[in-house]
Amino acid sequence: MNATKAIFLKELRIEFRNKQTIIFALILSLMILASFRFAFSFIDFSLTELASPIIWVTFFFSGMFSLAPVYKKEVEQGTRDGLLLAPISPASIFLGKFLANFLVILGLELFSLSLFFVFFPVPTPDMVALLTIIILGTIGFAALGNLISAISSNLSQSEIMLPVLLVPILLFTIVMTSVSSTSEIFLGANLNEIFESIKLILVFDIVFLASGYLLIDYVLED
Amino acid sequence: MALKNKIEIMILGIAALLTFIGIYLAFLYAPTHVAMGDVQRIFYFHVASAWVSYLAFGITLIGSLLYLKTKTMKWDMLAHASAEIGVVFCTVAIITGALWAKDVWGTFWRWEDMKLFMTLVLWLIFVAYLALRANSLPGKKRANISAVFGIIGFLCVPLSFAANRIWSHFHPTVIATSEGSLQDSMVLTLVVAVFAFTFVYLFLLKLKINLENMRENIEEIKQQIGDMNG
Repeated sequence: MNATKAIFLKELRIEFRNKQTIIFALILSLMILASFRFAFSFIDFSLTELASPIIWVTFFFSGMFSLAPVYKKEVEQGTRDGLLLAPISPASIFLGKFLANFLVILGLELFSLSLFFVFFPVPTPDMVALLTIIILGTIGFAALGNLISAISSNLSQSEIMLPVLLVPILLFTIVMTSVSSTSEIFLGANLNEIFESIKLILVFDIVFLASGYLLIDYVLED
Repeated sequence: MALKNKIEIMILGIAALLTFIGIYLAFLYAPTHVAMGDVQRIFYFHVASAWVSYLAFGITLIGSLLYLKTKTMKWDMLAHASAEIGVVFCTVAIITGALWAKDVWGTFWRWEDMKLFMTLVLWLIFVAYLALRANSLPGKKRANISAVFGIIGFLCVPLSFAANRIWSHFHPTVIATSEGSLQDSMVLTLVVAVFAFTFVYLFLLKLKINLENMRENIEEIKQQIGDMNG
């Protein structure tokens, strides 16, 4: 548990010491939302129906951007061997990195969400339900993303390979469930009405966390 | 080596024989479907290739699990070979299904149909698996990461069945086949086609594994020559 905490704090410290990644991710979210705004200013469309896909596309693209360097930077800066030689289990490296990344991505998402409400005037949905879905979806996204980021850090073209490997798995699990239940929330559903989706996303979260926890050992070993 | 060759020739023989019988049954023996007409005959090849692709991806999962457990490279080779063939058969299943749908539904693809969507995602996952293998150097590292990815990729399949329930809440699932109206002769044709495709799969798998073994031998020989010269 101490090892997890140490890794968690180390990740956050690096992230905030070199603020570049976060700032670029924030700018990227802004760009994506602005492009959507421009694209939809020419055609007649229902804001409420498009809200959920717009939000999630923004989340996933900016999130993927901040997932890519999670393990790659250890390779680039030559700290990977030190990390592996330290007397801690790979599982705690995974958990620490997952927690730090989850917090960073969640922060990015809250920023994008507030920008979304500025750019797109929609009737305010049930915020408790919306935030619950966002938090749960982000847990799964960060858990799977961390594992895939560890896998792709071994590849020669890791920046391209991360989305190639991550998207097909996420698409059918977290993305689909989150997008469909977020649409319902924007159409006026409350927490109770989307309870089925919440259960499903929780299952995905647990499966991705467990597979990361169990399999990271094989990914990191030489 | 001789015995191995015998098994190979036997598999090839059975596959060829069953394929010819299957073609005969599908085009001449099986009656024309009352509602759909001749286009229904594509169904025999469609179901057979879809079944083989699921089987191949299942073998990939088993190969990956056994590799992580035993760390023997032959299981990694099996997983890779099976995934490659599975992608080919999955492509065939998707294309034949789309051709059938164009005639019967009037459109190539129904995005709201869960079964189609799921098969496409499965195809994408295993294309990503092959891209992962193509992008890394041969060795233990590649075997490790591709086994991990193969396992997570396959985990998606049962999970997606669960997701089906939620999604179909918005979009009604279209029943893609006409199981209810199958006659006995149609069932027989289908069974023969499935067996024929399975044997073709086994033969291709054997070929692919032989090929990989040869490649490894060549690498070893090259190494030896290099050592001698150096």
